[in-house]
Amino acid sequence: MLDRRIGLLVATLAIVASACSSGGTATTAPQSEAPASEAPASAAPPPSGSAAAGDCTVAVSWNNFQQPRWAAHDEPGIRDTVEAGGGTYISADANLSTEQQLTDVTTMLGQGADVMIILAQDTTVIGPAVQAAKDANVPVIAYDRLIEDPDVLYITFDNIGVGKAEAEAILAAVPTGNYVLIKGDPGDPNASTFLPQGWDDAGLKAKVDAGEITILNGPEGGAGEWPKDYGTYTEAWAPETAQANMEAIIDKAVADGNQIDAVLAENDSTALGVAAALTGKNYDPYPPVSGQDGDPANLNNVAKGLQYVDVWKNANELGKTAGAAALALCAGGDMASLTLQDGLIDPAVAPAAGLTATAFETPGGNSVSSFILTPTPLTAENLQLAIDGGQVTKEQLCAGVDAATAPPACQ
Amino acid sequence: MANVADVAPVTGQVEPPAGRSVRGMIAQTEVDFRLFGMLIALAAILLGFHVISGGKLIQPSNMLTLAVQAAGIAIIATGMVLVIVSRNIDLSVGSLVGLIAMTYGVLMTDWFPNIFGLAPDTPFLWVLALAMGIGVGAAIGALQGFIIAYIGVPSFIVTLGGLLTIRGLVWYQSNGAAVNGLDKTFLLIGGGAQGSVGGVLTWGIALVGSIAIVAILINSRRQRRRYGFPVRPIWAEIVLGVAGCAAIIGVAWFANNNFWPQGLADRVAAEQGWGPAPEGGWKIPTGFPFPIVLLIAVTLAMTWIATRRKFGRYVYAYGGNPDAAELAGINTRWTILKTYVLMGILCALAAAIVSARLNGASLDIGDTYELLVISAAVIGGTSFAGGIGTIPGAVLGAFVMYSLKYGLSFVGVNSPGQNIVVGIVLVVAVGLDTINRRRGT
Repeated sequence: MLDRRIGLLVATLAIVASACSSGGTATTAPQSEAPASEAPASAAPPPSGSAAAGDCTVAVSWNNFQQPRWAAHDEPGIRDTVEAGGGTYISADANLSTEQQLTDVTTMLGQGADVMIILAQDTTVIGPAVQAAKDANVPVIAYDRLIEDPDVLYITFDNIGVGKAEAEAILAAVPTGNYVLIKGDPGDPNASTFLPQGWDDAGLKAKVDAGEITILNGPEGGAGEWPKDYGTYTEAWAPETAQANMEAIIDKAVADGNQIDAVLAENDSTALGVAAALTGKNYDPYPPVSGQDGDPANLNNVAKGLQYVDVWKNANELGKTAGAAALALCAGGDMASLTLQDGLIDPAVAPAAGLTATAFETPGGNSVSSFILTPTPLTAENLQLAIDGGQVTKEQLCAGVDAATAPPACQ
Repeated sequence: MANVADVAPVTGQVEPPAGRSVRGMIAQTEVDFRLFGMLIALAAILLGFHVISGGKLIQPSNMLTLAVQAAGIAIIATGMVLVIVSRNIDLSVGSLVGLIAMTYGVLMTDWFPNIFGLAPDTPFLWVLALAMGIGVGAAIGALQGFIIAYIGVPSFIVTLGGLLTIRGLVWYQSNGAAVNGLDKTFLLIGGGAQGSVGGVLTWGIALVGSIAIVAILINSRRQRRRYGFPVRPIWAEIVLGVAGCAAIIGVAWFANNNFWPQGLADRVAAEQGWGPAPEGGWKIPTGFPFPIVLLIAVTLAMTWIATRRKFGRYVYAYGGNPDAAELAGINTRWTILKTYVLMGILCALAAAIVSARLNGASLDIGDTYELLVISAAVIGGTSFAGGIGTIPGAVLGAFVMYSLKYGLSFVGVNSPGQNIVVGIVLVVAVGLDTINRRRGT
C-alpha cells in the first residue's frame, strides 16, 4: 500500500517540477532567478542622479491582466526603469480578486519588497494590504487608481482631464441630442467621481440642465442625484457586461422611439462592449462613442469609425514614472517632496505641475503626495501619434480598415 | 477500506499485518496511509518551492500567511466532505460566503449604528454580528437542504440556483458598492499580528495538545485491552506519541518565531507608552493567528461529529447505501437537510475570516470558492461515489492545494498558471486514487 502512496507523491512532484520549469519561462518577470541580494553584482551601471539603489526590490501588485494595457505597457515601463536603476522587479497578479491581492501584497512583503506599487482591485478593501506594507515600513505607491490613505504616493493620469477630453470631443461632434452614459466599476472613484467630473468640466451638466442634451439612461422618473444616478455602471469594467447593458439600452431606446445620438463610455473596455452592441444590432446611424486607454482593439475601432475618440494615457510613461519614483523612495527620498530624474519622461505627458510631487486632495478628504500626468485625445485625424508612441503597430491599427474611408495614419 | 471515515484505530478483530518490512511496520502503527501520504506530499511541495525560491519560502511569516489563506477553504471543505459523502454537492458556498461577508459588512457599517442604534464601540458587537451571520448561513442552508431532501430537486440544480441567486443578493445588499470599517474586535478573526493569540497562549495550546495526544493513546490502549481487541506494539505507541507531540511543539515553536512587523510594534508601543524600543527593535511573537485556531477547533469538532455522533454515522451510512440506510430506519431526509445547515454555518465562519482580513467586504468575495472547496475535499480523498471521505483529509487537501498555489505565486507564476497546475493535480490525485481503490478492494 505504501508504494502506491509513494507513486502519488512522485507524480505530484513531477507535475510541480514540470509546471515550475515551464511557468518560469512563461512569466515575463525574472524574479525567480535574481534574488535581491545578488542583483547588484550583475546590474547595469546605475544612471546618473540620486535614483541609483542597488538593493531595491520593487514589488507590483496588479489587480488583473485582462485589460491589455497593463502587461503591454505599464509593466515594461516599470520593470525596465527599475532594472536600469539596478533594482529588482517582482510582481503578482490578483486575477480580479480582492482577497488574492491582499495575499499577494503580504507574500511580496515576505519576499523582501522595499517599495510596494499597488494597482488596487478595490480601493476600499485594499486598506489592510496598505496597512501591512506600512507596518513593515514599506512605502506604497497607488498606481493609476487612488487608494484612500494619507501615506500613499498617487501616480496617475489627470483623470478629470481624461473625462474632459472625452466629453469635449463628443460634445463638439454632437452638441445636442440623446446621450447614453456608460460608466465603469462602481467601486472605482475614477468611474463614479473623476471621469464624470471631467465630463461636467467640458459642459455636459450645463447642456443637460439647459435641455439641449437628454440622458437616455438616467434615473427612473428623471429625479436623481447628478452625476451618481445617471448612466449605467459596469462591474469590473468588463466588456461583456458593458455589451449586455448597452444592448438593453438600445432595445429600450428603440421601444421608446428614441434615437441614440452619442455614447460617452468611460474607458476602452466598456467602449469595446458598446461598439459590439451597436454593430451587433446594426444601429443606424452609428453614434460617436468615446473611450480611453488606447487599447489596440479600440484604436482599430477608431480607424474603422466604430469609436470616435480614444483618450490615450501613454502608459509607458506612467510606468516609467512609477519605476523612477520607486527607486527614489528606495534611495530614502521623502514622499512629500519626491523629485524625479529630468529627461526620463516625455515632456508632452509629464505632470503639468513639474517633476516634484504635489499634494492631491482625495474625495475621501485625505491629502496625498502625487504625480499627475497629462493625457492625449486620439481621433481618426491624429492616430499616427499612437503608432509613433509604440502603442500600436500600423498592421494592428489598420487591420480590416476600408481603404476608401481610411484615416491618414492608414493611408 | 469499506469505510475510511474513521481516522481513529480500527476496531475490527483482524490482526494488522505484521512483518519486518517498512510497509508492515507502518501498518502496525495504524496510521492512515492516505493522510500520511498527503503529509509527505505537502512537505515535499513546500521543500521543493523552498529550493526553487532560493531558500526564501519556508519562513514563519510566509507559512502563517499560507495557512490563513487556506483556513477559510479548509473550514468549508470539512462540511463539503459530509455533503459529498451523502452523494450531494453544494455549489452555492462561494456565493453564500460572499453574502454573509457582505452581511457582516453592512451590519457593522450601516445597520448596527443606523437601524439598531448601537454605538460603534458597543462591547460584544462582534458576537452579535457573528451570530447573525451564522443565522443567515444556517437559514439559507436549511432552505436549500429542504428543497433537496424533502422536495427532491437534485442538489446540483438547487445549489446552482443558489450560486446565482445569492450572488445577486450580495449586490442588492450593498447597492453594488464595497463596504469597509468593521468592528475592531471582529477584525481579530482575520489574523495578522494583532489577530494572533500571542507567544504564551501558543505554548499553552501546544502543551494541551501534547497532553491530549498522550491521554488518547493511553486511554485507547486501556480500552482495547479491556475489550480484548488487538493493541499496537508498544514501540508503535511510543513513536506515535513522540511524533505527535514533537509535531505540535515544533509548529508552535515555528509560529512563535514570527514577530510583529517593526512598524506596527513601534506604532502600538507609542500609542500604549511601552517606552523606548529595546536593542534591535521589538521582538513580540505572534504565535498562532486566530483563523488557524478556529480551523483547528472546527476540524476537531467536525471530526467528532463525523465519527462519534449518530448524525455523522448516518451520513456515511446513507452515502454508502441510501436504500439500506432508509430501510434501517434512518431519517435520511432530516440527515441531508442537516448537512446543508452545517454547511451554512461553516460558510459563516469562513466569511468572518475573509471579511475581517479585508476589514470590509467587496462584491467578489467568495468567487469560485465552491470549486476550491470541492477540489480540497476531493484531493483529500472524498469520493463522489458516496460514503467515503474524511474531515482531516479535506483539511490536508486544502493545504496541499494552497501550498501549490502559494508556492507557484511565490516563484512568480501568475494565477492562470496556478490554475493549470491545481487542475492537473486534482485530476491526477483522483485518478491515482481510483486506480488504488480498484486494486485495493
